[in-house]
Order: sequence, then structure tokens, then C-alpha cells
Amino acid sequence: MLETRNLDKSFGAVHVTRDVSLKLERGERRVILGPNGAGKTTLFNQLVGELTPDSGSVHLAGEDVTALPVARRARRGLSRSYQKNTLFDGLTVEENLSLAAAVHTGNASQLWSDSFTKPEVHEIVAEVAEQVNLMPYIHARVSEISYGVRRQLEVGVALATRPLVLLMDEPTSGVGPEMSKGFHDLLNNLPRDLTLLIIEHDMDLAFDVADTITVLNYGEVVFDGVPEAARNSKLLKEIYLGSWEDA
Amino acid sequence: MFRHNALRYAVLVALSLAALFQALTAEYFGLEILTEILILAVLVLALDMVAGFGGQVSLCHGALMGVGAYVYALVSAKAGIAPPVAMASAVAVTGVIAWVIGAICSRSHGIYFIMATLAFGQMAYAYVFEAPVFGGDDGLSGISRLDLSLFGIDLDDSRSFALFCLAVAGAVYGASVMTLQSGLGRSLTGVMHNEQRMRALGLTVWRVKADVFGLSGMIAGLAGVLAAQHVMYISPGLLSWTVSGEALVVVILGGLGTLVGPLIGAAAFVLLKHEISAWTDHWHLVVGVVLIAVVMSGANGIFGWAEARWGGWLERRMADATRKHEQEEVVSDA
Repeated sequence: MLETRNLDKSFGAVHVTRDVSLKLERGERRVILGPNGAGKTTLFNQLVGELTPDSGSVHLAGEDVTALPVARRARRGLSRSYQKNTLFDGLTVEENLSLAAAVHTGNASQLWSDSFTKPEVHEIVAEVAEQVNLMPYIHARVSEISYGVRRQLEVGVALATRPLVLLMDEPTSGVGPEMSKGFHDLLNNLPRDLTLLIIEHDMDLAFDVADTITVLNYGEVVFDGVPEAARNSKLLKEIYLGSWEDA
Repeated sequence: MFRHNALRYAVLVALSLAALFQALTAEYFGLEILTEILILAVLVLALDMVAGFGGQVSLCHGALMGVGAYVYALVSAKAGIAPPVAMASAVAVTGVIAWVIGAICSRSHGIYFIMATLAFGQMAYAYVFEAPVFGGDDGLSGISRLDLSLFGIDLDDSRSFALFCLAVAGAVYGASVMTLQSGLGRSLTGVMHNEQRMRALGLTVWRVKADVFGLSGMIAGLAGVLAAQHVMYISPGLLSWTVSGEALVVVILGGLGTLVGPLIGAAAFVLLKHEISAWTDHWHLVVGVVLIAVVMSGANGIFGWAEARWGGWLERRMADATRKHEQEEVVSDA
């Protein structure tokens, strides 16, 4: 469903992505681990088109999308949530979801009708709000909801485009243990045919959700395998999991 | 997102009734002032649509208004084509030019967008000033008004023309609301709040910006047609950046991103200008002081200030009602 071939990116002398090749099957849930500065978010930015790789290619559903801009990749089914909330702050939860659903349903550029009143937009908004537990806050403005709920909305906005592949950049970043537990359920309840690529530091969540785990270090893939193998990987423990195991 | 509320409806009705009353009862000079207010209102509605709801602070809307006026004058007075066709041509040509400007400037933001639109405006001004076909510094005269004699309306009469401008301003307000509440308008507001996210959702951001800028340009062109018909003479001064600057002052004075506010701003600006210019030639100084006071108050213009007060009053009223209800419940429980 999503594939990268020999992706490479440097900023000056700093090599942030080194020859990264990944292949995600339809419905696969892969978690990307790696210490800070490993190049995880830079990899995401190249996947969605916010950064252009120096070399290599990105393929979505068999099509080479490397040359496509962000919006066209999104329309082909590649959606992302951000590590820092990137929401429409002055608007309500419903309006945030509606904007995304309107783009997906092709109502976002129509002059003769209100995209927010379209039944197909309503349907997506209601379904996503249910999926990410946002119904109690649906009419609240973003500025009125808690940080944890905003993280849910961050994922909800990405989901409202009905993606084939959803990239989630640290969905539980900054949320407490209770909320983090809620995210386990949220991710596990997403449709099984949705392909997920998740950057996550929460190891419990990573091992709970992931079908496969990829570990990046200094921009390079140093591990690629199932969670059990990751748990037993000596290399992984050295570069990343030591502190987790000790804890 | 653009939303109407009770205060906005009330102000809109009050402004419409006041304008209608003035149009029906005023003498010649009062009708001229009213017409000036209404034409400016059309222009600032166009500007508020892009600046207030799209974050596109344009300094070329004066020039777009001028383009509309000149196209109308050329097509009707020089080419001798019927005014309705000339009006449609002027609006369409201005829309296309505005769409191109919007598309080119769509990747720039903030001060760079302002400067880019200023440059386009000044290019248009310089071209019109120098090209003989536009009459150079002398401008163009002999412009006729729309012929509505078929409906028994003589637009050469000041009162009829003021009422016509009022009808056009009302229609433009309705069209602006419809645009802002359409899919396109919703997307524009999304872009203003978070352009990166709208792009990541799959929206072709430049296209949305260009489309709304084009629509806004059509309205500015219509304001130009009204201005040309009003004075029956046009000069390059209409395209000057100062006209764009004044329109921006009016939008800020009234309340950016409210639609209703700029209508108040247009009335306040023209009335201030005429009242103060009766006392002194330096009326700009007084308008400047008023604008500084409005900006420094931290409120979003005159209407923004009123809306904030009204919102606070509503909240207090709701809090009082909730408290009273709770007290009644305690008493009934006891």
C-alpha cells in the first residue's frame, strides 16, 4: 500500500534519512521507533510531500507519488496527524472535522452550496466523531477543549479524509497515562483495512498496536520486524530500549 | 467561519432602514453622500471577503475598482455598447484580472502579499495613466448610467440612482454571505486558520485563494461601474493606491472579518470626511486620529467593539439566569 525505495535526505552536512526502504501492506500497522533526532518526522514529511527527498521514491497503492505535491498525495489517500496540534483553533470540533470531510467529498470548492450541510459530510463527521470519542465535545471550540481531546481531534481530522494510509506522528505526545490508555482502544478500534504508520515513544502502545516495528537511528533503518523480535533485539536495546527495560 | 447573530441582523436592518429613509427623503447633497457611502460599501465588502476571511490584505482593490470603471467607460462610452453588456463585461474582466493576481500572489503571505498586490495596483495605475486609449491624466467623460426606463426608472435622477446603489449593495451583501457560507468560503476560512493543514487534507490552496480573490475582484469591479455611473467621469486617480488604502482603513475602522462592520466603517468614513472637511481641509488628520484610537483600543473596529460588549452582556445574562434557576431548585428541594 505504501512503499519507499532508497529514500535519502540531507540538510547540508547532516544526513537525516539514509537509504530508507519500507513496504507496508494494506491494513498493516507499523510503529516507527527511534531516539530523538533519528529522522522519524523528517521521513514522514517526505512521505506526505512536505519535504522532497534528495533521492529515492515514494509509492502509494503502486503509484509513484514522489513528484506529487502534498494536496495531491492527500487526495490519493495519504493522510497525516501532527506531533504538535495543527488544528483550526477558532472553529468548533464539528467544523474541524467538516473541513476535512468537505475536501474528501469534493465539496470544498463549491460555490453554490454549503459544504457543511451536505449529508455525506455529516455522515463522515458523525462516524469519525464516534470513532475518536469526540461526540461529547462536538459543538465546543478547539480553544475550549483539553489538550488530550485536541490530540483525539488531531487524529479525527486526519481520519475524516477517509485515508488509505494514515501517518500518525506521536499521537499520545504530551497526554497522561489515562488518556494514553484511551488511545490504545482508539487505535485498536480503527478499521482493520486502514494502513497505519505511527511514530510513537510510548512503548506499551507501540507493542500493543503494532504488527511490525521499524527502528530508525541516525536516519537509517536498523531494525525491521515483528514486535517480539524487537523486544529481543540486542541492537534495539542498546540504542533505544535500554531505558524502557530498566524502567 | 462567518456567522450571523442577532446583533448583526439588527445592525443590518438598522443600516438598511436608515439608508432607505435617507434615499427617500434627502435632498440632492444628502443623496450624493448616500450614494458615495453605498459605492464605498460595495468596495469594502469585496475587500473584507478576502482580508477578513482569507487573511489576504490587498492593496490593489482600488485599482480593481478602477479597472471596472474604465472597462465600463470604454465599452459603453467609446465602443457604444449597451450599458448592461458593458457592466457585465466590466465585472467579468475585473474578475479575470483579480483571479490572475490572486493566483500569482497565493503563495505569498503577510507583508509580502500586501506589497505584491500594491505592485499590481500601481502597475495598473501607471498603465492607465500613460495609455492614450484611457484618456491619460484627463480621464474619460461622457459615461452614461444604466437605462432602466423599461421599468419606469430614471437612473439619471439622483434619488433613483441612490436607491439603485442601495439595491446593488444589498445584493452584494447577500452574495458575499452566500460565498462565505459556501464550500469555497468555508475552505477559505480554513486556509486562513491553518493553510498547512488544509493542504495536508488535500485542498488545492492556491486555487481556493485565487477563486475567492477573483469573486472579490468582480465585486470591486462592480463598485467601479457604480462609481463611473455616479460621477459620469473617471480619471486614473480611481486606481491610485490611496483608494485601496482608504478601503483598508474603512474595513479596519468598521471591523475586519465581520461584513457588517465595514458597512458601518463606510458610513462613518464618508460622513466624517464630509462633516470635518466643512471645518478644515485636514480631515485626513481627524480620520487618522479616530483610526489610531480604534486600533489602540484593541477592539476589532467599531462593530467588533460593540459585538464584544454585546457578547459580554449575553454571558452575564446567561450566568444570572443559571444562578437564579439553581436558587429556585434549592428552594423547591427544601
